[in-house]
Order: sequence, then structure tokens, then C-alpha cells
Amino acid sequence: MSDAETPFSIAVPDDQLELLKQKLELTRFPDELEDAGRDYGAPLADIQRLTKYWKDVHLPKWREHEAKLNEELPQFTRDIEVDGFGTLNIHYVHQKSTVVDAVPLLFVHGWPGSFVEVRKILPLLVEASPDHPSFHVVAIGLPSYGFSQGPSKKGFKCEQYAEVSNKLMLSLGYNEYVTQGGDWGALITKRIAQLYGPKHSKAWHTNMPLAGPPQLTQSPLLFLSHHLFKYSPKERAGIDRTNWFEEKGSGYFKEQSTQPQTLGYSLADSPVGLLGWIYEKLVNWTDEYPWTEDEVLTWVSIYWFSRAGPAASIRIYYEILQGSLQGVSQNMATPIPLGHSYFPKEIAIHPRRWLKAANPTLIFESEHESGGHFAAYERPEALVGDLRKMFGRGGPAFGVVPGKTGF
Amino acid sequence: MSQALSSEKPFQISISSFDLTLLRQKLELVRLAHEVDNAGWDYGVPLSEIKRLTAYWKDTFLPKWHEHEAKLNEDLGPQFTRDIEVDGGFGKINVHYVHRKSAVVDAVPLLFVHGWPGSVLEVKKILPLLVEESPDYPSFHVVAISLPGYGFSEAPQRKGFEAVQLAEVCNKLMLSLGYTEYVTQGGDVGSLVTRKIAQIYGPKHSKAWHTNSPIGEPPHPIKRPLLLLSHLLFSYSPSEKAGLERTMQFQKQGSGYFAQQSTQPQTLGYSLDDSPVGLLAWIYEKLVNWSDGYSWTDDEVLTWISVYWFSKSGPAASTRIYYELAQAYPEGIFSGVQTPIPVGHSYFPQDIFVVPRRWIRAANPTLVFESDHESGGHFAAHERPEELVSDLRKMFGKGGPCYGVVPGKTGYVVDVIKFGGRD
Repeated sequence: MSDAETPFSIAVPDDQLELLKQKLELTRFPDELEDAGRDYGAPLADIQRLTKYWKDVHLPKWREHEAKLNEELPQFTRDIEVDGFGTLNIHYVHQKSTVVDAVPLLFVHGWPGSFVEVRKILPLLVEASPDHPSFHVVAIGLPSYGFSQGPSKKGFKCEQYAEVSNKLMLSLGYNEYVTQGGDWGALITKRIAQLYGPKHSKAWHTNMPLAGPPQLTQSPLLFLSHHLFKYSPKERAGIDRTNWFEEKGSGYFKEQSTQPQTLGYSLADSPVGLLGWIYEKLVNWTDEYPWTEDEVLTWVSIYWFSRAGPAASIRIYYEILQGSLQGVSQNMATPIPLGHSYFPKEIAIHPRRWLKAANPTLIFESEHESGGHFAAYERPEALVGDLRKMFGRGGPAFGVVPGKTGF
Repeated sequence: MSQALSSEKPFQISISSFDLTLLRQKLELVRLAHEVDNAGWDYGVPLSEIKRLTAYWKDTFLPKWHEHEAKLNEDLGPQFTRDIEVDGGFGKINVHYVHRKSAVVDAVPLLFVHGWPGSVLEVKKILPLLVEESPDYPSFHVVAISLPGYGFSEAPQRKGFEAVQLAEVCNKLMLSLGYTEYVTQGGDVGSLVTRKIAQIYGPKHSKAWHTNSPIGEPPHPIKRPLLLLSHLLFSYSPSEKAGLERTMQFQKQGSGYFAQQSTQPQTLGYSLDDSPVGLLAWIYEKLVNWSDGYSWTDDEVLTWISVYWFSKSGPAASTRIYYELAQAYPEGIFSGVQTPIPVGHSYFPQDIFVVPRRWIRAANPTLVFESDHESGGHFAAHERPEELVSDLRKMFGKGGPCYGVVPGKTGYVVDVIKFGGRD
């Protein structure tokens, strides 16, 4: 039986709004090369337009945006003890379905995302229907993100994020649950699967499927196949996209995983700096998603007004990956069923045969013709459609949480 | 031949009150980042350092800016700006430079080229030593350029302005000052630029070059097989091993700025142009990590940062060279080091790229001068001015391998009696 929850409403103090206003008024923009396009980074015209809108429209109406978020997302906070790190006050969204035996689902965001990424899928997930399962949804605000407290000690790694997440679910009475995650959410839910599955985590789904390239000594047949048999045009495009990300799109990764504090001073002090830093990813990592100014600025505002400050959110790269992308695709195997959704504009896209070899418990796959990294936000119906197929009647993970089939 | 009207104008650093006010207002609104306990320097610049420097900047350094500015103008001596036309559609770029002539008429003309996050300030300490007259060592006429995109020079407006264009600007500057033949000294980006100058304009104009950022490529089975053989057969000295380790460590932990600036400089630029504390941290981390325990005073650091903050084109423009170099040289900037003119090296053990001597020698067949130092880091002209100048004096002085490399400009007073004639 879970104890009572402490409701939470986003209510940014007036002095923070005032400080942001004053800073926006003093913005100093860089110049830009002629015809730079997006080649050199976020385009100046976009950033100027967004900054002006922020100052003149979005910020003056912040209380409306805040109210809308509070209305759409039932939020709470709870103290969670983390071994070696003391108590962290965790912010989360929690909405139960009207279906009593809905499937408990933990949604885990990444960077530069937040709990806000659950916004569109939430109503779809909890929706009751005879034709598809419904879910009780918990969307955690990871420590150091949004309105969750951040750790004050060094060394808060994947295990700790997994521990917080599992403890949160248990404290809400969800002794058995499933998970959905992308970006850091993918790595964290994988760790949850490894540490707490199958006892607590019963199945996991990700929209950022991962696998390392075949090694001759570890998977000789795959290695041979890699060199002998061609990849499909789609797979080639995926490889190209992955190469683009590593060669041109991962500078932020290198900095955040080696000198996050140095970068952090910029992100904490400059709203336009934070905006540029995040907006570049919102554009480059999505499949032409038509971001409105309000969407971008709400997203960035959650970082700007975050409890731990924007600098804290990037420390995860340092703590877990320490400068190398290699750690991302290692040690993939989990003891519980796994489902994948493939979106063509994801930033790391691996050939299907690598994914199958690295993930022996893969029982569900769904391919999409469009969509990118922020699947829950860009393609909510598609993502929820996949979860409904995976966990619904006749699906490979139906009834994976005993007694909670979603119907 | 008629003398074309030169666009040279004398220049003094004189920051507007608008710019000073804006900076003050921003410093008053600083919002600092939190830090984990006992972070030290592991995660980047410590909060305690940034707190101290920011408070000092706001309360002491900035209010006294005019004093610092006056001292800067005094230390740098005569400064100028001049329009330089750049081929390939880049048009005219107004370039800022220091130009100090020695009292020795036949001093060796020397172009000093800074790097990132440096500036023309880096010439400050070596300037008086270089122009100094003595029978015991050569003296130099010194030109220290602010590279386009840095300090008080304009920035290029078009894509593709890389080392070739920077070399062109430098060469044209020297020619416009009447130095048809000259030598160069450079570190960091300045090393790349002076190498390019050597390759394109040597030996016709550039006669010899010296760098404190020497490089060489690692052994390779096909490209550099003899070096590979040596690598396998003969071990490296303890200091070479330490240097390699330092280099690897830098690649692993210290090169985030490089990855970002080479791929998405504009994205980073929004922070650097808008946040003084962001810019401070971004640069200060390098000043400390790349130098050899140099005791930076707060005034030094903030003067250095101020040149970026108050730069003509803004801090973001300075980072674009990394992008342009990555585009122009996909195989990397460590290959193609050879030049047709003599080169001299100074080796400082705490620089960020320190590779075995044999790699460097293999890459630099025209290497005529080497000097080893027990200490010192990346910013040699600032950290070890006497040592650097001493090396230049040895390289270019009487008995040195580059003595008289610029015909008629040996760096010494001509002894009239010895030559027994009219001067």
C-alpha cells in the first residue's frame, strides 16, 4: 500500500521571472557567417526570433503556460533515499487510468528532455478501451532535472538513477511494472531491467535501440555477415545518420562528459546560451518537427527554472560516460522482454541484425516511416500504438505484470 | 612607382561606455551554477574560482577598466589598423596589429602570431626583449597581428576562411609594412598559420619560422614505416612517455571545447557572446590546464578575457577557425607539416600536445633548431618570455642556424669601422 502523495504545482517565484526578464533585455547576440544555414550551429535568425518572443510574449504569459502544465500533468514530490547519497526530493507525474488493472508504466526522459515529454502520450496511455490496454503512468523527473533535487555528491551513476526510479515505483505501490524510455531513459531503463528485473521490472520498451558493432571475437558470424552481406538502403541511411551524429553532432557530448562545470556556467547564466544549446538538438534530432515558439520556450524554461539549475543536468554525461560514446552501446543484455520502436531520424541507428544479436530478449519491433529522437513528443500516437501492440491482447508482452493486463 | 594610399591608422584600445555599461549590468545579474561537493577541477573550473573572479571583475577590475586599458595600450606600444584585401571573395578585412621597430635599423623583421584562446596580448612580455639592442644577440622589428576574428580585427563574413586565408592576411600585412622578407614565431593556431605562411610564401617572403607548438604524426605502417620500426625497436625516454601520456589525457578529457568548436561553433557562440561568466569559465579552464602552474593574477585573467569580451566581432567569431580547419583538412591538422624553409622548435613539457622527438623530426625535415625546457606550458610567450626570446636569439643570432636568413637584416648594428667604409 503506498503512502499518501504530496501534490506539486509548478510555481516559479516572481524574482526568478524578473531576473530572466532582465537578462533577456540585456541579450548580446553573436554575428553569423553569410549563408551559414544550420552548418555552424543553431541559426542566428531562429535564435533572435525565439529570444524576442521569449521576452515579449512567452515570459509575460508564463503563468498561463505554468497553469496549463499543472492542469495537464498531475504532479507530486516524494523523498527517496539513495544509498550513499542521502535523501533526494523527486518530482514526478502520476496519473492512474480508470481501468483498475491498468499496466503500471514508468516513463523515463533524457537530455535535453524532461517530464514534459510525457505530455502528449499521457492521455493516450491512460485511456480506457476494450480494444487496447491502458496504463497507470508514472513519469519521473530524474534527479538534477526539472523540479527534482539533484545529488550533491560525486559519482551518481546509472545504478543510482535506476535505484531512484525503482524505489519511486515501489513507494507508489507498483511492485511490478514496465518501463518506456529514450535517450538517458533508454540507458536507465536498461539498468532497471538488469538490476530489478524480472522481480520488479517485467518488460521494457525503448525508442532508442542500441547495439555495438560486431566484434570478431565476440560474434564471429555477425562480424562475417557485416562484411559479406549488404545493408538495406534504410540501414545505410541509418548508418549515415549515426556517422553524422558522431562526426558533427556530438561536440556537446564531448564537453558535457569531460568538463560539464565549465559549460555549466554559460547555461546557468545566459538564457539565450541555454536556448541555443538546446534548440540545436530539438531541430537536428527530430524529423522536421514543427516546433512552435511556445513549445521550444516551455521546454527550455523547464531547464532555466529547474530546481538544480541547468548545469546539474549535464553532469550525468560525466558521471556515466566520462568522455566516450563507447559506453552507450555496451552491456545491452537484460533478463526481461524488450520492445523496440524504430524511428528513422533517431541519432543512433544500428542495423537490425546488430540489435537482435545484442538484445537476446527482444520480442517486439516496430518500424516507422518518420519520426526522430523525441518519439513521445513527435509521434505520440505511433509510440503509444506500439506500446498497445506490445502489451495488448495477442501481443508478446500481454499480461507480463500479473493481474494487470490493462483491460 | 606611385605609393598607393595606405589605409593604416594608428589605434588605441578604447572601449565605449556603452560596452562597459552593458558588461557591468550583466555582471550584476550573474546567476552562478551549483557544484557537487569536492569537485575540485574534475568537472571543470571550480565554483570558488569563478565566484572570486566574477566578484572581482564586477567590484574592482571593471570599475578600473580605464587604468587597465591605458596600461594595455602602454605595454603594447604603437598599434594600428589597416585594410587587407583577401582573395576568393572575402573582400577587405580591417586588421589590428602591434608594430614596434627596434632601434637597430637592420633588425630581423618578425611576425608574431597568436592562437586561441590567446590574442595579441601574448606578445606583451616578449616585445621589449625582442626589440632590445645588444652586441650579444640579435634584435627584431616586431609585428604582432590580431588574427581576423580576434581582438580588434574584423572577422570574415563568409564561409571557408581558413589557414590559407589567415596566412594570406599575415603575408600581405608584412609586405604592406615594407617587410618583403621576414621570419615568424607562432604557437597554437599561430603555429598552423605560420606553417602555412612558410609553405605558401616561403622562401620568397617567409625565410624561417619558429614554433613553440611543434607537432608530428605518429608512426604508420604504410605512411611512415621507418618511424614505426623505430617505435617498435627503440623505447621512448621517460619525458617522452610523460609527454605522450599528457597528450592522451588532453585528448580524452580536455578536448571537449575542440569537438564543439569544430562542429557547432555558432551554438556555443550564443553563450560566449551573451554571458561574461560563461566566457570567463570557457577560457580560464584552458589558461590553467594548458599552462605549467603559471600564477595567473586576477587582473591578468580578466584582461585576457576582456580582449575576447570587447573584441570587435565578439567571442563567437574566434571559434569559427576550428570549424573551418576541420572542413578544409579532413585528414587533420597534424599532417602536411613540412615546409621549404628552416624551422626552429622550443619544447615546453606542459604543453597540451607533446609527442616523441623522433615523430617531430620525421615530420619536419627542415628542422634546424631545437631547444628543450624543464618547465613551461602552452602559452610560452606569456609564461616563459625570457626563455622563448633566448631561443629566438640563439636561432637567429651570430653562430645560430638562421643567422642572416633575412638578407641584410641580421639583427645587429652594422660595425662601420670593421667594414671600413661609408654607412
